[in-house]
Amino acid sequence: MHVVVCVKQIPDPAVPGALNADHTLKREGKPILDESDSYGVEMALQLVDAAGGGEVTLISMAANEETAGLRTALAMGAAKAVLVSDPACAGSDALGTAKALAKAVERAGSVDLVLTATESSDGYTGTVPAQMAELLGWPALTFAKKVDIADGTVTIQRQTEAGYDTVQASLPALVSVTAGVVEPRYPSFKGIMAAKNKPVDICTAADLGLDGQLGWAGARQTITNVENAPARQAGEKFEDDGTGFEKVVSFLENLKVI
Amino acid sequence: MFEWSEEHQMIRSAVREFVEKEVRPHREELEHGDMAPYELLRKLYKTFGLDVMAGASFDKRIAREEAAALAPMASASDDADGASEGSSGNAGMTMLPIIELCRCSPGMVTAMGVSVGLTAAAINGKGTIAQRKRWARDIATMEKIGAWAITEPNSGSDAFGSMQATARLDGDEFVLNGSKTFITNGPYADTIVFICKLDEGNPLNERRVVQFVLDAGMPGLEQSKPLRKMGMHSSPTGMLFLDDVRVGYDRLLGETLESFGGKAGREASKATFTMERTGVAAMALGIIERCLELCVPYAKERVQFGQPIGNYQLIQLKLANMEVARLNVQNLVFRVLEMSAAGKGMSLSEASAMKLYSAQIATQVAMEAVQLFGGNGYMAEYEVEQLARDAKVLQIYAGTDEIQITHIAKALLA
Ligand SMILES: Cc1cc2nc3c(=O)[nH]c(=O)nc-3n(C[C@H](O)[C@H](O)[C@H](O)COP(=O)(O)OP(=O)(O)OC[C@H]3O[C@@H](n4cnc5c(N)ncnc54)[C@H](O)[C@@H]3O)c2cc1C
Ligand SMILES: Cc1cc2nc3c(=O)[nH]c(=O)nc-3n(C[C@H](O)[C@H](O)[C@H](O)COP(=O)(O)OP(=O)(O)OC[C@H]3O[C@@H](n4cnc5c(N)ncnc54)[C@H](O)[C@@H]3O)c2cc1C
Repeated sequence: MHVVVCVKQIPDPAVPGALNADHTLKREGKPILDESDSYGVEMALQLVDAAGGGEVTLISMAANEETAGLRTALAMGAAKAVLVSDPACAGSDALGTAKALAKAVERAGSVDLVLTATESSDGYTGTVPAQMAELLGWPALTFAKKVDIADGTVTIQRQTEAGYDTVQASLPALVSVTAGVVEPRYPSFKGIMAAKNKPVDICTAADLGLDGQLGWAGARQTITNVENAPARQAGEKFEDDGTGFEKVVSFLENLKVI
Repeated sequence: MFEWSEEHQMIRSAVREFVEKEVRPHREELEHGDMAPYELLRKLYKTFGLDVMAGASFDKRIAREEAAALAPMASASDDADGASEGSSGNAGMTMLPIIELCRCSPGMVTAMGVSVGLTAAAINGKGTIAQRKRWARDIATMEKIGAWAITEPNSGSDAFGSMQATARLDGDEFVLNGSKTFITNGPYADTIVFICKLDEGNPLNERRVVQFVLDAGMPGLEQSKPLRKMGMHSSPTGMLFLDDVRVGYDRLLGETLESFGGKAGREASKATFTMERTGVAAMALGIIERCLELCVPYAKERVQFGQPIGNYQLIQLKLANMEVARLNVQNLVFRVLEMSAAGKGMSLSEASAMKLYSAQIATQVAMEAVQLFGGNGYMAEYEVEQLARDAKVLQIYAGTDEIQITHIAKALLA
């Protein structure tokens, strides 16, 4: 079985982020593997194990041929990676990103399943997975909290507010997995040492046949303004004089929680 | 080498994450409870594949030596890299877990180092292939816990000179007697290397030093409960009592008395001392890094006389000295890695110099960290208190400061 995992390499959230004049995120420091995607990587490794063999390929689009985040996923056990990196990608909107990633999936060879996270930690539009599936012409199964593969079909438990729906599709398919579905493994020391020699196929927009369709050139979305989120309002303060519980109860009643 | 390589940095961040998630939440139990460190250490080994790696490298080395024994011509060249096993491929893989664990729980490193470092090395250094397979492999993979017992109530710094523990030949068995103290892992060890003198009816100072491997539970062997001590609470330390413990030649390291010409036995122990002393530099680095990491934000946040204390030059001096210490000790650690990568062994005197400096400066840094934190620094909650107690032992075990000085001076004046 051949599973592709989309992994986004994002600026380290521990370092304060900054925006460029065109409102795009500054991507200068060494990027890290988006934690949201570490679940997809773990899930893929487990699915390949359960299938009794196969391979996990990573797909990423990032600036400056950055591989730092990819190496982490390669150290966890993925076999190889396709990295779309090209100055022409700068300014890509979510659709542009989806186009590049879909083409990269085709470049990865014969693929049974693509895994993504439900949303990235930096852009979090949550739109890339469905767009990719549409471009590939494959079914999209989203918000999976459990994934099983058997006899050419994929069955997921799709997270809902009330619980979950069971959703099934034939392979190949694209599945987005929610955070926390599996416990991502630590890379072993051996895996870390091996990661630097694993193949990373770096390709440009032209290599993917997407000349002129990515980056600012292809974006149909423009970022007109970025504003700070409104500051959180101060809460109400009560001194508990022994009747505090009544205040809590009436507060919850107002919210119609009880 | 002036910085950690990209692979090293990946190893470091993976181990750091493990320590934060798996070890730090147990700090309280490790420090003030009865939690032994072994399950956490095993988890560390398993998580990062260190158990599998240690087993594979052990098997490979034994296979190579067995092949060389069959074709003796080939063996000479193979021997060269023999001593550096474990450290050979990539010493960083050994050093980084030491540094990272010491940022939280230096005692765990003591427990680990004495087992997979000292004890396994002693068996690998002197043991026959059969003995190494029997005991050293399981210790290297952390399946079994090892202890290395040389210190006695009346023999510490002068370990060989005033050693009283004895082995007496009785037919084709040895009868072992004596007591050992301050033995790391002593209370829980599965496998114990017991160092003593062969009593052939000759005077104490003429007796040969011999080493035996004991298993927990042997008749006549008693392992005490952990001793209460100043620091390193996550490393259980105890006493061993041997009362007519009977063992065959199969437990005598080397399986023949000929392998212990008085001098050779001492040389084998010296090689182990060198490894132990360079390990202390890595421990010191972890402690110093953590002190800085805790002190810098505290100096910025703690306000007295209307200003952050970091504005005062006396506090700045402390921070600057910590940074100087960090750079120096890190450079020493880098030197160990570079020498190992170049296949060069370190002299005992250089290892002693490294250990002396690292131990002293780590203790100094940790004590100054307590000072910088004021009253909070004296409280267990603020962590520097633990680091200061833990750091102190680096000046005592693995050879006291004073003994390191004698080793350095001896080499200089030779
Ligand atoms: C304010 C702002 C600034 C931006 N600045 C830049 C910029 O400077 N440079 C730039 O290139 N883009 C920039 N973008 C675009 C954005 O970062 C993404 O490339 C794109 O919109 C994907 O959207 P998302 O991250 O919201 O994906 P989502 O739909 O939230 O992602 C879902 C999942 O799809 C996969 N995925 C998404 N993107 C990638 C990827 N690149 N590689 C691999 N897998 C992926 C991951 O599995 C991810 O978890 C900016 C967007 C905004 C809103
Ligand atoms: C936490 C801990 C763990 C330990 N683990 C082990 C272990 O696993 N196995 C093991 O065998 N031992 C272990 N030890 C023992 C340790 O190696 C000894 O404590 C150490 O070597 C010092 O010996 P001593 O305690 O007898 O001190 P002493 O030798 O009595 O020293 C007392 C003082 O005299 C000084 N001194 C001694 N000789 C000289 C000299 N010639 N010139 C100048 N000054 C001198 C010393 O430096 C010291 O300051 C451990 C000790 C501790 C505290």
